[in-house]
Amino acid sequence: MSVDLQLKTLKEHSRKEIFLCVVRAPGGSRIFVGASDGNVYDVDPLAEKPDFQPLAGHASFVTGVAVAGDLLVSGSYDCKLLWRKLAGDEIVHSVENAHSRWIRKVVASPDGRLIATVGDDMVCRLWEAPSGKLLHELRGHDEQTPHHFPSMLYTCAFSADGQRLATADKTGRICLWDVSTGARIKQLEAPGFYTWDPRQRIHSIGGTRSLAFTPDGKSLLAGGIGAIGNIDHLDGPARVETFDLESGQSTHVFSGDAKGLVEQLVFHAEGKWLLGVGGDNGGFWQVYDLAEKKVVRSEKAPMHVHAAALSDDAMQLCAVGHGKVVVWQVENAAPGSN
Amino acid sequence: MFPPVGLPLETVRMRCLLYLGCCALVALHSVRAAAGGELLSPDAPPEQAIDHYIDTRLQRVGVSPAPQADDANLLRRTMLDLVGRPPTALEAKAYLACQDSAKRLQTVERLMASPAFVRQQAAEFDAWLMEGTRGNIREYLAKAFRENRSWDRMFRELIVGEPDDPKQQGAIRFLAARAKDPDKLTNDTSVLFFGVNVSCAKCHDHPLVDDWKQDHYYGMLSFFSRTFDVGEFFGEREYGRVSFKTVEGESRDAKLMFLTGAVIDEPATPEPDDKAKKEEKKKIDELRKNKEVPPPPLYSRRAALIEAALHDSEQAFFAKAIVNHLFNRLFGRGLVMPVDQMHAESPPSHPELLAWLARDLQTHGYDLRRLIRGIVLSEAYARSSRWDSAAQRPAESLFAVALIRPLKPWQYGTQLKLAATDCQQYPAEMSAEEMDNRMQQLEAAGRALGASFELPGVDFQVGVDEALLLSNGEKIANDLLATGDGSLVGRLAQLSDARAVAEAAIWNVFARPPADDEVKALTDYRSQRADRIEAARRQMVWALLTSSECRFNY
Amino acid sequence: MTAHSSGVSRRSFLGAAAVGAGAVAADMTALDVLRSPLLASELKRGEKRVILLWLAGGASQLETFDPKPGRPTGGPYRAIPTAEPGIHVSELMPKFAQRIKHTAIIRSLDTKIADHGQAARLMHIGRRDEPSLRYPDLGAILARELGQADSRVPDYVNFYTATEGRGSGISQAGFLGARYNAMFLTEQNTPQNLHKLEEINDLDHVERAELRNLLTARFARGRESAPLASHNEAYARVRGLMASEKLFDISGEPQRIREMYGPTLFGEQALIARRLIEAGVPFVKVSRAWWDSHGQNFETHLELVTELDHVMSALVDDLQARGLLEHTLIVTLSEFGRTPVINASLGRDHFASAWSVSLTGCGIRGGTVYGASDEDGQTVKDGKVGAGEVFATIFQALGLDHQKHYEVGIRPVPLTDIGTKPIKEVLA
Repeated sequence: MSVDLQLKTLKEHSRKEIFLCVVRAPGGSRIFVGASDGNVYDVDPLAEKPDFQPLAGHASFVTGVAVAGDLLVSGSYDCKLLWRKLAGDEIVHSVENAHSRWIRKVVASPDGRLIATVGDDMVCRLWEAPSGKLLHELRGHDEQTPHHFPSMLYTCAFSADGQRLATADKTGRICLWDVSTGARIKQLEAPGFYTWDPRQRIHSIGGTRSLAFTPDGKSLLAGGIGAIGNIDHLDGPARVETFDLESGQSTHVFSGDAKGLVEQLVFHAEGKWLLGVGGDNGGFWQVYDLAEKKVVRSEKAPMHVHAAALSDDAMQLCAVGHGKVVVWQVENAAPGSN
Repeated sequence: MFPPVGLPLETVRMRCLLYLGCCALVALHSVRAAAGGELLSPDAPPEQAIDHYIDTRLQRVGVSPAPQADDANLLRRTMLDLVGRPPTALEAKAYLACQDSAKRLQTVERLMASPAFVRQQAAEFDAWLMEGTRGNIREYLAKAFRENRSWDRMFRELIVGEPDDPKQQGAIRFLAARAKDPDKLTNDTSVLFFGVNVSCAKCHDHPLVDDWKQDHYYGMLSFFSRTFDVGEFFGEREYGRVSFKTVEGESRDAKLMFLTGAVIDEPATPEPDDKAKKEEKKKIDELRKNKEVPPPPLYSRRAALIEAALHDSEQAFFAKAIVNHLFNRLFGRGLVMPVDQMHAESPPSHPELLAWLARDLQTHGYDLRRLIRGIVLSEAYARSSRWDSAAQRPAESLFAVALIRPLKPWQYGTQLKLAATDCQQYPAEMSAEEMDNRMQQLEAAGRALGASFELPGVDFQVGVDEALLLSNGEKIANDLLATGDGSLVGRLAQLSDARAVAEAAIWNVFARPPADDEVKALTDYRSQRADRIEAARRQMVWALLTSSECRFNY
Repeated sequence: MTAHSSGVSRRSFLGAAAVGAGAVAADMTALDVLRSPLLASELKRGEKRVILLWLAGGASQLETFDPKPGRPTGGPYRAIPTAEPGIHVSELMPKFAQRIKHTAIIRSLDTKIADHGQAARLMHIGRRDEPSLRYPDLGAILARELGQADSRVPDYVNFYTATEGRGSGISQAGFLGARYNAMFLTEQNTPQNLHKLEEINDLDHVERAELRNLLTARFARGRESAPLASHNEAYARVRGLMASEKLFDISGEPQRIREMYGPTLFGEQALIARRLIEAGVPFVKVSRAWWDSHGQNFETHLELVTELDHVMSALVDDLQARGLLEHTLIVTLSEFGRTPVINASLGRDHFASAWSVSLTGCGIRGGTVYGASDEDGQTVKDGKVGAGEVFATIFQALGLDHQKHYEVGIRPVPLTDIGTKPIKEVLA
């Protein structure tokens, strides 16, 4: 019996900014969105007339937002991390040069006690959420690609039990870490995400852009883009690769059906379904059936989606991206999912 | 419609003025110098007219021309021009030995009757008409020359299309290769078929050349402005006018006007309304999707161009342009230079001759063979290219001495392949048909080799790339200096006498009798390499092949 | 005929056997030019050189020389100050920022053409094409103006890229003639056919050419013509050019120098460029493709600008250490820039209305910026210039008169169109 679901648009807001990351405030439809103008926007997209409150403080693209306890943590290409109170939005803590190069993602541990950040200095840092104290520096990704160019560390994700953390970079290397000790447990290779063109363009644009553990913790999924003919454009298949964490082996590749980057993978909390969102010049969302190893559905999204946040009841998905914020109702999921 | 981007109009004008000022000065001088003789009877053959007018002028200026080129030289020149390859050593020997005073005439007629003549003309016309595009029309041209189609018919077929070519694959590729760029199409047609480059008149009236105004440019463009492309095919609309802005900013509708200034009457076809245009766009999209050729219009402006060009008996642009082109190709210089500047400020070196040949062409149904034959049989064509006299070398425009012409890529490739092949591969007993088959294979190999060389344009120079390729290229060395059966190097290996080797090599490569000093140079070279005779042979052949004597038509 | 004497001027050393037949052993295998101090100093004095860094595909001015941080379309990279107060560049160019005293940046280029092919031609030739005249490109002109007639090194070396291809038709010798064609190279960093074949020894290679010359000379008597002369001139240059093969071999360079330029292809080619100009090649074009970041502009420029920053700085440092920077002009050019507007693939598209070029070294007043774009970089606000002005400025920086004429037939053709003015503010 195949998994399937539909996303029905509840709201769609057009703005001139590019939205790069999103997180939900606990209990409700309020979200925080990181934007290309350096602001974090505090907004309720389901409101009658949503009011995009700009929270200034960053000097460049805000590429990560996370909620830990009663705090909102944001990170940016300006290498800074900011802690704000959810209530009132005031900045309570900041770390300049939290990374020596552009911060790419900020995620909170499931229990809200830790913050993980990754940046192009190729280091993942684990911070104590309330105090902002640096706990670990996780180094396992090379600063340069095999072709002598500066690399990028794009993404990280916690396992559902918060014990492990995965990080993934431009060349398709994925590292698995023990959260409490900061030790590296495993290293996986997903070179299918490295879009290096050795002949005509002599650079690359892809990389592993998204990560997600299966809720049972046994597998890890990585998302990005597959082989591209002409890397002037995102002209390649949307790609998701699954790894068995016991063996470290790649077990399946979902490829095609849509074109562009898989920017984020979203699991139903109990693993009943898995969504991928992303885009190229347009946008897409896809549903993957892990058991049957196939893409069940692939649809157009109204914009290139950079990030999405699922509501606690798994009924609403808020997606943000190029010039838009969209709220979808999740519908027609497989029977018994409620 | 406006001056080239980035360039103030004044700059363009000043630039043109400067250039044309110099043109005018030279033109004035030439006009004084080029006073012709009495007009020759129209019944004379073309070769007689050519010699008459050229010799008259030579007498007038008191210049004695170079003597006729020797037999070997003339045979090589004639064969390269008519059939695209030099003679083999055996052919040259036979020609030299022949005592018949009519041998030159007989040779020309034999060559022009051969299939190789068709191939060579097709190659020449293809290179000329399709330069700067990505297409080729050799197949069509071969057919046209085989049937000796008249030039006016070919012109119609190239511009309007052949009637039996529904898929637009034949002559019409001339147009297809340029369909996306109407300015290029207009200018190329003007230059190739009328000898006139009007592109300067796009932005403003030509400042010194009264002949060319903006009206002329846009008049010519109008013949092509209704042509549109549909994927790989193209069609022609029933409607459409070109409008342009004059330098004063006045907006004008272009009249359908030929270079002579003659305005063409055409049926009034009003611009369709928006609805009709949408319908049309839908139809065109359908055609594009189904990869279909659009149906021809009821009234075709392109067809009108043909009529206008052929009705111009007065200025005879069409006839004069092809005469000038063939003169340029076969003599190395046209009667009007540069060949695309046929206007009042750029007078011909021999105006009566140009007029005579143009009229002869017109009255003989635009028969290109007749014209080519006439040129190639003239005394002027047969002159030596060597100026031995103590007197100063005469100006090129007098045609007193033959010009050195770089070989076209396929000719040079064929020359090299032929020279590197043992001439005994083509014995005299071989039937003409068998010989032609063998030559076709050689020409194919020659064309492949020729891909490494550039098509010569005006002021051609050989680049160092070519010298390096021939000096150090492995493929070329294997191709030309191989020692296998049938190769020149292989044949030389069978000769033990040093002198015999040298003579055989020179005959094989240059197709002429060897001179003592070159034989000595070769035998000396060989004797210094007694320990590596085989290498010496290859090196000697190399020196002969890369000599300028092979590179040029002299 | 040999000329092994050291301490003579380059012309006499290299020019010794230039006449007609027998271009022989006065070649560079006999003397290691790069080690002879007297010869090197002779080269340094008075002779100008150009290295063109061709950023093929359209480099983004916003991620290099004209950043607009904080603006809605400025992108994520910030601006950093340079060693010159008041001048900022993208944070992707920290090394360049420190060395800005040698460089003038022109931010006000408006060339209007946003099509790769046509725009590339415009930026190579400095003016629009004419149907009746084939203009020479910058390299051909400078090969002629800065090169030696009897040169034993190439005049014009062109590292073209696999993306553009050799036949892309963007560079040409035009009416100057094939003598000034570029010597082309791509991933093989050595030109083709510079190496004699195994089967022939060196003496034979030379004497074979002499035999050829002898045979040709008797043919050419009484038949003087320019194409004929060019044929023999081409062969006369073969030995000298073959000897310059070692210039393309960087394996002899000290490790320190190789590391300075870095391990990428672009870096290696820049090092070869330095070797070439040091040996007297007047013009070297090193292309780096392919900057056409319609998607993922920031990722692309992160890689490419980081590399450009590194390589350009290595070149400046290396030339300066050898006393060559004041005689060498380094130009960065593209066919156009990129749009301020960021598209949905986080890319930037073609944009020719307000973009930048840079000029470094010889004849340039460094540490300056000429012209300005508006706050978002959508239009030129101040000091609008086109390709012609950039070329005029390059010529003036090299001590050439940009209004000098060539004679094409009887037509006078100036180096730049009449009325074009060089940008005086960036000239020393």
